[in-house]
Amino acid sequence: MSRSFTLRHVEPSKPITFDPKKCIGCNRCVNVCPIDILLPSASNGETPVVAYPDECWYCGCCVMECPAEAIILGHPLMNQVRWVEKKSLMKEGDLK
Amino acid sequence: MQRGLNWPYKSEINEMEEMDADVLVLGGGIAGCMAAIEAAKKGKKVIVVEKAAVKRSGAGGSGSDHWEMAATNPCSNLSPEELVEAMMDDNDGFNNAISHYIECREGWDRLVDIEKMGGKIRDIDEEFVGAEFRDEKTKLMFAYDYKNRVTLRIWGTTFKPAMEKEMKRLGVVVVNHVAVTSLLTEEGRNGSRCIGATGINGRTGKFHVFSGKAVVMAMSRPARIWLFSAGYPGLCEFRPMSCIGNGHAMGWRIGAEFNMMEKSVKAQFSASGKSYPPYSAGNNHNTWYAASIIDAEGKEIPYADRDGKKLENIMDRYYPSEGQKFFMMGGNIEKAKYTYEGPETIAYGELKNKGYKLPFYADLTTLPDHERNVIWGMMVAEEGKTKIPVHQYYAKQGFDSAKHVIQCYGNGWTSASFLPQERQLFGLPGGFMNDWKLESNIPGLFVAGDALFASNCFGHAAATGGYAGRHAAEYADKNNLEKPCEDQIKIEKERVFAPVYSDLDSGITWKELNQAIAKVMQNYCGEVKEETLLKTGLSILKEYETKIVSKTVAANPHELVRLLEVIDILTVSQIIIEASIHRKNNCEKLEFIRSDSLPGEYEPFIVIKKDGDNVITRKVDLNYAGDVKENYEAHNGAYIKEMRH
Repeated sequence: MSRSFTLRHVEPSKPITFDPKKCIGCNRCVNVCPIDILLPSASNGETPVVAYPDECWYCGCCVMECPAEAIILGHPLMNQVRWVEKKSLMKEGDLK
Repeated sequence: MQRGLNWPYKSEINEMEEMDADVLVLGGGIAGCMAAIEAAKKGKKVIVVEKAAVKRSGAGGSGSDHWEMAATNPCSNLSPEELVEAMMDDNDGFNNAISHYIECREGWDRLVDIEKMGGKIRDIDEEFVGAEFRDEKTKLMFAYDYKNRVTLRIWGTTFKPAMEKEMKRLGVVVVNHVAVTSLLTEEGRNGSRCIGATGINGRTGKFHVFSGKAVVMAMSRPARIWLFSAGYPGLCEFRPMSCIGNGHAMGWRIGAEFNMMEKSVKAQFSASGKSYPPYSAGNNHNTWYAASIIDAEGKEIPYADRDGKKLENIMDRYYPSEGQKFFMMGGNIEKAKYTYEGPETIAYGELKNKGYKLPFYADLTTLPDHERNVIWGMMVAEEGKTKIPVHQYYAKQGFDSAKHVIQCYGNGWTSASFLPQERQLFGLPGGFMNDWKLESNIPGLFVAGDALFASNCFGHAAATGGYAGRHAAEYADKNNLEKPCEDQIKIEKERVFAPVYSDLDSGITWKELNQAIAKVMQNYCGEVKEETLLKTGLSILKEYETKIVSKTVAANPHELVRLLEVIDILTVSQIIIEASIHRKNNCEKLEFIRSDSLPGEYEPFIVIKKDGDNVITRKVDLNYAGDVKENYEAHNGAYIKEMRH
């Protein structure tokens, strides 16, 4: 299968994703971000641009501010903490 | 950002706006907002200048779960005097008795103010009725030491939006998205009265000149000195990446005095992405106190009291040991004298000998329901950046605190293992020197929150903020507005905007400069210091200042603000090295080690300032605050009277 190539800047992570179906383009997230990493879209009412994803502090203030629940905050893969069911650690005899 | 995209904001790079106020507040975090509110309540015309937007900006903007040392709350069993005495003793005197006395004495007053503004400080929704940490009459909830009840659990995500509304109600002028770049002094002279500040808008590039009869410095503590990652700059440190100590740098340039700047600690959190998101990994400290810690086979590692006596019941973790009047904090982070022995204080070798197996996990499943639900659901949710990135994020993935256990990484709460030269300003770091009015040596420049030396947390920021605002208002009553010196403004404007006109293709970016500074600091001012090494490091930083800063470049106002931050980091790094050169001996509580230490001579506080090209030091007694109660009352007669009514 043929594939045309593109040149792009490779980001180490993608902290914020917008759901364009839910986003109302109000830019409240743009104005509340404590690091100012978001920029308003060039067209009125459209989803903001995550202009500086590497500067994200992962505080979630944009999510708290969003009136449309249109923002999802993730973590870089390296920051995914491991948790397990306690039961899985116990030997059979220790289980209550 | 891709090259060539259009900047969405209008350029105002040739525009300048002048504004004036009775009280000018620099930084709109917890301290700055409280300073502004107190000054405005005194009828003063107030301006707050904030780099981001006050609703969520600053170290406490996204939330907070603890309000520490509120010794005057109605349920407290401790006096402000005994708490401050313990805090000083805990640090062998290397602490700020004045600011922490204000925290202990006025913290509760500010909390009541915040409640009136709309912040939630009580369990009014009756979620924790019957919990041992809840006072049924006042509905206040306490943490750590349930007997003495000085640290409150709070719903801190509600605080900043409430403060923003209150400022609006009081007519405070909030200037958002403007980064302060310099302090203005009378006739532009070094060491003279502070009469204003300059700033630039991080979106449009507009230049601002602010004048104030009194000025409150309420900016952050320094960061990104030793720790930097160009890939994850936002994750380099614990506090927000925009909080890097701009205030320290601009204070230094006008001759303000600094204390304890030689203190740094081995990195505790978020170093260049090495840690996990704060409060998301297994630990048993502060927010997570007193979670159980279990090993890889589910075996619990016991808590012990300060005398090493094993605690059999979970609830014993919340009470002082026999003969101990009180303990401070939850989790033994800094070898505190007033605490307990937890699972984290036992050396790993010993744990291994006892048969415990790695990795360890934090286990809430066996805690009483109220204790589990207050940690996971309130503390983790209300603490800064936990509501969305931890609590909501885990919930979406099916985490159940009654069933699952979370892995611990590294020692204690750090969630990583750091190298000795990976250092941070953490745990009562250095900052502006202050007197009993929280005024610096620069007349008219008051200091609050993390800008002060030996600052720590939310309650300290709010209490010192209110206090500085009140004293700044008094100063404003007795002093006039001064016209800023035109030369000082002209020089600053040239400095600030030069990088915008550099060549984009050959210029040095803020990231390249920050990474270089961090490497110099790790190499020349790491864990063990030595005079010749420090001086070599200093000479490299000075070379950066004279030869590299002029080659830096910024493509837009956002990048320019980031670059100006790094230029301030360069200044702060020099303050740290200067302070390290001037302290000749090891000092345990400053975590200061010199291989060429000259034992014998005792050194108290060594306060430093810049005068032209010279650095001037003076020794200050560790007890310079004097009798805290007496001196506090001598400086706050009107306030004490007012609070009685």
